[in-house]
Amino acid sequence: MDISGTYLFNAPPRQVWSLLMDTTAIARCVPGCRELRPVGPDRYETELSVAVAAISGDFKGTIELADKLPPQSYKLIVSGTGRPGFVRGTATITLAPHESGTAVQVAASANAGGLIARVGQRLLEGVARMMMDRFYQCLASQLDSGQG
Amino acid sequence: MVTPVLPKLVGQRVKRREDPRLIQGRGTYVDDIKIAGMQHLAFKRSDVAHGRIRAIDTRAAEAMEGVEAVFTGAQIAELLAPMPIGTSFPSPPHRALAVDVVRYGGEPVAVVVARDRYVARDAADAIAIDYEILPAVVDPELAMTGKPAILHPEFENNVALPPLPNGTGVSRDGKTVDDSAIDKAFAEAEVVISQRMVNHRVVPNTMEPRGVVAHYEPGKESMTIWSSTQAPHILKTMIAAMTGLGQHQVRAIAPEVGGGFGAKINIYGEDYVAAAISKRLGIPVKWVEDRSEAFVATTHGRDLIAYVDLAAKRDGRVLGLKMRLIADVGAYNMLLTAAIPTLTMMMASATYDIPAIRATLTEVFTNKTPTDAYRGAGRPEATYFVERAMDMLARELKMDPADVRRKNFIRPDKFPFTTQTGAVYDSGNYEAALDRALEAANWKQLKGARDAARAEGRLVGLGLSMYVEVCGFGPSSGMATGGWEHAQVTVERDGRITAVTGVSPHGQGNETTFAQMLADQFGVPLEHITIHHGDTAVVKQGIGTFGSRSQAVGGTALHLAGARVKAKMARFAAELLEAHEEDLVFESGTIFVRGAPAAAKTFAEVAAYAYVPVPLPEGLEPGLSEEAFFEPSNMTYPFGCHIAMLEIDRETGEPRLLKFVAVDDAGNLINPLIVEGQIHGGLAQGIGQALIEETVYDQSGQLLTGSFLDYALPRATDFPRFELHNTVTPTPLNPFGAKGIGEAGTLGSTPAVVCAAVDALSELGVKHIDMMLRPEKLWRIIGTPPAPAHGGRA
Repeated sequence: MDISGTYLFNAPPRQVWSLLMDTTAIARCVPGCRELRPVGPDRYETELSVAVAAISGDFKGTIELADKLPPQSYKLIVSGTGRPGFVRGTATITLAPHESGTAVQVAASANAGGLIARVGQRLLEGVARMMMDRFYQCLASQLDSGQG
Repeated sequence: MVTPVLPKLVGQRVKRREDPRLIQGRGTYVDDIKIAGMQHLAFKRSDVAHGRIRAIDTRAAEAMEGVEAVFTGAQIAELLAPMPIGTSFPSPPHRALAVDVVRYGGEPVAVVVARDRYVARDAADAIAIDYEILPAVVDPELAMTGKPAILHPEFENNVALPPLPNGTGVSRDGKTVDDSAIDKAFAEAEVVISQRMVNHRVVPNTMEPRGVVAHYEPGKESMTIWSSTQAPHILKTMIAAMTGLGQHQVRAIAPEVGGGFGAKINIYGEDYVAAAISKRLGIPVKWVEDRSEAFVATTHGRDLIAYVDLAAKRDGRVLGLKMRLIADVGAYNMLLTAAIPTLTMMMASATYDIPAIRATLTEVFTNKTPTDAYRGAGRPEATYFVERAMDMLARELKMDPADVRRKNFIRPDKFPFTTQTGAVYDSGNYEAALDRALEAANWKQLKGARDAARAEGRLVGLGLSMYVEVCGFGPSSGMATGGWEHAQVTVERDGRITAVTGVSPHGQGNETTFAQMLADQFGVPLEHITIHHGDTAVVKQGIGTFGSRSQAVGGTALHLAGARVKAKMARFAAELLEAHEEDLVFESGTIFVRGAPAAAKTFAEVAAYAYVPVPLPEGLEPGLSEEAFFEPSNMTYPFGCHIAMLEIDRETGEPRLLKFVAVDDAGNLINPLIVEGQIHGGLAQGIGQALIEETVYDQSGQLLTGSFLDYALPRATDFPRFELHNTVTPTPLNPFGAKGIGEAGTLGSTPAVVCAAVDALSELGVKHIDMMLRPEKLWRIIGTPPAPAHGGRA
């Protein structure tokens, strides 16, 4: 499953970069996320509540930031396991100046297994896209409201 | 007073006696079994298709209130050896619960024992497993090159069975191969049809999922195991062997069984685990599969690729057939997995007198649920490949599909007929079945209707398929379990009849058909007869219900046991009537001397005498109970012809079946109503495979059609009214001349539907379409027809 998107932020790349590295802001904006606990350099543990179609459940997961080239690009490696199965994904995030702000380009590939794949696969891509949209829109709105 | 003579029941449309209790919810299935102190099992299954287990953390599960115990694969391996299979094919070790490596999504890895089903399930969900994910082997043809991974290190390139040849020029052991005859056939051919075809994987989807209750009683040192199985005696044998008990210490019971379709012949890991845990903990335990588990945990069916080459003369005469088969058997060999595709090879001659055949079978392991028997088991695949090839030949030669088949039939005077692949067909009259079908369908008029519809721009097609099926599985030379059946018949002290049979039904209606037979044999009302089955403590011996063997093998055993009791009863009656037993008539619940019905003795009177025999006739033992074992000399080969008319919507690609005519010849019929029910079910599954059923895995080996949201099970609204007809060609192999019908509906129906779809799209140059006929696939073909110079289309 491959999904991609571009999100516009009203701030220069450097400011957007620090927002994207701010774990408090991230935890606030990931739908269903309670907190991010650092467990090593650029490595966090988290708990997520997700509902896809008839399947809902809590995932325990890790988030890892890699190949960081501030303020241009980095890699996000996510994996989660829970009652409904597992999800794994890698996203490459690229920041580029766009007019007076920044265009954040996300290219992600993910796969899922277990019940979530068997029963929910037709809705999985839609849910993943929706979660990604909500995440970046949330971050962008934080920037707009001055919270970033 | 004149007692009316009871009408003969064999051959009558008697309604199923078992239905009222089943449709009113009064049946007892495995899940209805409740025992004091019983605990419940839930299995933790692998979410990954292929992975190495790094760690299993069961602490959270063990800490949950109501959890009795948790066992991992390694702990169960201390209680259970690797699971045996039922064939002599090479097989990798297969643990009831995975140890170290998981090889398909859904493979059980750990098991929880808990107070109730809900606690057990929650606790299983709380088990955390850390996997190192390995590349998933999904494509069987890629798998044969060893890519992208190896499932079992001892099976090079994932090849479960290296190419096994059968047919003309191949010695019986498959070790020496002489190609001269098959090469000559192709050298002399004026036309050769070559096509790769896929007979795709389907999920059996029994209405009742699997389930088991195991109850080991330490004080009695004995095990009782209830299971939703087609073969309780095989279960008993295997459970005894795996738990270290003698067969005298195990009682297996198949209560009501809600469908099997072949998937419940196998003895599964869950059965062994339940038995082992019950024995270890000394408590009864229950496990009942949920629907989502059933999609991955119960064996799948079919999944064969065939490279078919058909050599013929331009007049339509077939000279030779090559069929190279690749079977995707999934991750492990189950009880019969490896043997099923060999039946496809065996039936490569179909209804035709083909002088040279070469079939070759390769079986391949992939990271999918294992395959095993599924209604038809190997024969529908053979029928599909051969009938599609015959249809392509007819199209190539611009012949009527009926004519090209007629030209190649095995003639009625050639039976018993030994095919080039070693099958010995007992009896047949294929042209009669074809003619009956053409007449019933009004073939000429139907072709006119199709052409008229085409003239209006509609995409309408006709498909025709012959089939020959293998029923009445036996004798013992071909079956590791033994190929006989057992029965016992008792005339009780009140004259009523209790009969037991080793074939335990899961929808076949034996309680009705077997009672019909005994009612006629003894001249008593149907209501005076009870048929017992499924409990190994009641039914002393048996093999089981599969391979459409209930009537031909089980029914014959019952008939033989009945004849023995009747002979003994006649001796007691002769004593009472002061007559010779050969002069006696059994009629309407009485026994009398021929011509003197007024002096009749009732069944109750004769039975009472037999059990209190004063005086005891010389040379007789008291009582009226006899048993019989019947070993058939060979299998039976029913056959038929199916015709389908189908329309494809030019705008949406949606196929719709307009008409379906089936002519089936199962020999003599005991109960035509039940036979028709069996045909209906078989047609639904055969047409379902062609039209809507499909099992889809993604590249990581995840099953994407794992619920009824995505796996389309056929419904009544998907079909036109089935038009059923029959011809009667009895088998010489049993006294009833009955062949079998349980699986036959799945054979001719699938190719008939696909042939109709290809015919509907023939104006676009289509020569072949692989199933299933998804509207999207047809719509794309309609949008971009193949280039006219090229052949088939996948």
